[in-house]
Amino acid sequence: MRLTEDKVKAWLRENRFPVPEGGAAASPSEASAIAERLGGGVAVKAIVPTGRRGKAGAVRLVDTPEETADAADALIGRTVNGYPVKEVYVEARFPVAAEYYLSFAFGARAPKVVVSRHGGVEIERTFEQDPDSVVTADVDPLADLRPWEAVGLWERAGVEGPVLARLGQLAARLCKAFRDADAVMIECNPVAVDGDGHIGLVGAMMEIDDNALFRHRDWAGEGSGFGAEGRILNERELAVMRANETLPGGALRYTELDGDIGVLMGGGGASLLQHDMVVDFGGRLANHTDFSPAPSIDKPLAVLDAILQNPNTKGLLLSFNYLQLLPCNVLVGALCEALRRYGVDARTFPVVVRVFGPGEDEARVMVEAFPGVRYMPPGTSLDDAVRLVVDLTGEAVDREGAT
Amino acid sequence: MSILIDESTRVVVQGITGSQGRFDTRYCVAYGTDVVAGVTPGRGGQDVEGVPVHNTVKAAVEASGATASVIYVPASGIKDAVLEAVDAGIGIIVALTENVPRHDAAIAVAAARAAGVWLIGFNTNGVISPGKSKLGGIGGNRADELYVPGRVGVCSRSGGMSAELSAALAAGGYGVSTCISMGGDPIVGNDMSEYARQFEADPDTDAMLFYGEPGSGLEQGLARAMRDGEITKPVVALIAGVFQENHPKGLSFGHVAAMIRAEGDSASAKRRLLAEAGARIAHRLGEIPELLDRAPVDRSRHSSP
Repeated sequence: MRLTEDKVKAWLRENRFPVPEGGAAASPSEASAIAERLGGGVAVKAIVPTGRRGKAGAVRLVDTPEETADAADALIGRTVNGYPVKEVYVEARFPVAAEYYLSFAFGARAPKVVVSRHGGVEIERTFEQDPDSVVTADVDPLADLRPWEAVGLWERAGVEGPVLARLGQLAARLCKAFRDADAVMIECNPVAVDGDGHIGLVGAMMEIDDNALFRHRDWAGEGSGFGAEGRILNERELAVMRANETLPGGALRYTELDGDIGVLMGGGGASLLQHDMVVDFGGRLANHTDFSPAPSIDKPLAVLDAILQNPNTKGLLLSFNYLQLLPCNVLVGALCEALRRYGVDARTFPVVVRVFGPGEDEARVMVEAFPGVRYMPPGTSLDDAVRLVVDLTGEAVDREGAT
Repeated sequence: MSILIDESTRVVVQGITGSQGRFDTRYCVAYGTDVVAGVTPGRGGQDVEGVPVHNTVKAAVEASGATASVIYVPASGIKDAVLEAVDAGIGIIVALTENVPRHDAAIAVAAARAAGVWLIGFNTNGVISPGKSKLGGIGGNRADELYVPGRVGVCSRSGGMSAELSAALAAGGYGVSTCISMGGDPIVGNDMSEYARQFEADPDTDAMLFYGEPGSGLEQGLARAMRDGEITKPVVALIAGVFQENHPKGLSFGHVAAMIRAEGDSASAKRRLLAEAGARIAHRLGEIPELLDRAPVDRSRHSSP
């Protein structure tokens, strides 16, 4: 979950990192009041959980409370990199004398720290233009990054003078805070230093591990309403997301696409493979799903609701890896319930089922009440089920076009 | 005729009194796995499926001589459970827990590797050496039917796919020496290349089959080991998730680990890398047996001096 700047700055302040004063405002008058309190020039920035705001014109530098109100007025209600702007962050301008770069993120097995003597530009650009100024190192998960190790990294990146000690301390403290917050990424760019050698964390981005939110209840829900990279979820996707958060059972994902074959698939690997095969066989999915099977009917039913409410869905595939924990009759029971609920006639709207494992005999009996449902014979592979649903959906769409 | 586990493996189950621990243990015992002890703090002295329960892994190891551990502990406790098993001298750990907090996973994996402990997972459904032993839920109550003994080593990034891969092998007349669900979380204990080296060294494995997904550098590591000549047995790979490349970056599909992060770790880049290193690439399950039927690929181009 990516945190917005106001949340990141508040977190840094709580942890006694040097951050310029500032606050969030939901209206021009609130923004100008903050500027008044801060005095002097301020930066007005759209609060959206994405980087590259400068490029998108979402950061304005202004000198007076009136200009602050104008800037806030121009930004609130706009869309930045796909995100609607509801608030702006009004921050005192920091007297920058030098800029550096510091980040923590995850490598294959351990956190990585990246430092550079150049800050204020994207780190990829810095690396292209001056690779020697960028130093990357693994952090031993069993030991913290020690201040003297951090000093060594900054030194290798070409930093000299009294600021070395301060940057070393900063990196060591931030490494510890990165772990304590269960962050998967923290990027401080720029780490600004003023004429007196004082540090100010002017730019800061942070992403929290969704899987560790049980330790950080205060952050739960901060990211709701956004898909990856700010894709705005539609009502069906939102409903499934809510079901995933509130109902018991395994992790569930549902993302709509622009094709016509609705799918409820699992687990993760079978979902990927079957999606590839749909494309190979010339079909197009109306949605992607991924569901870790758990013995409960609630979550599969929530996905089936979304799939059958999606007006683009013209066929349905219910196909899983060999089930272990979730009995077939429970999963197929959810399917039957959904078919009844939406009055689906499987003779015209193809339904293909490839669900093997405990409870399979009962499940096969259950679908007999729904003429047209194709339950794949024992021993058939994922390939066979995908091929059939692609063919049948194609035929159904052709029939629909012909009438 | 197997790697990592066989009929001599003595197993302790951490979290044996929970519903999944109990459920899987029943099928493991029925399969023939030598489950010698269970651990649940506060339940010491009880038994589950005839297996004595202890309060600590250390006590379980002392009483039973367990050499491998299967862990059924929720994400909030998995780090400590792994550290406890490492501390008690366990040599092979199967950590089934999925969605483990990243920092916890990093700490647990670092501790296991520092102690020379083989860690399967996180987010695995287990490991099976057909006819000998199985740890975890792998195969459920149909392990005999899904995992036929044979001479192909299988290593899968996805737990569920391990059954499909093995069933595809069986359909083509091949069997499995050992099948490992290596873990689908972003951080796993051991790499694909490390499993490949185990299969390479196993006299009863003739070829290996890998299943991979977008994200991670696991296949790059495997390709490197093949190019360096460390792996000479035939390798068949099925890499899913190519469709993602037609969608905007960051759109989330499947496992967390399957998020596209860079060009080099996309499914098609992995297929290309592995093919260049001499692997045979399957696009569907049905193609796997025919790829194994072919004579070994000419690897003279790739052999080390």
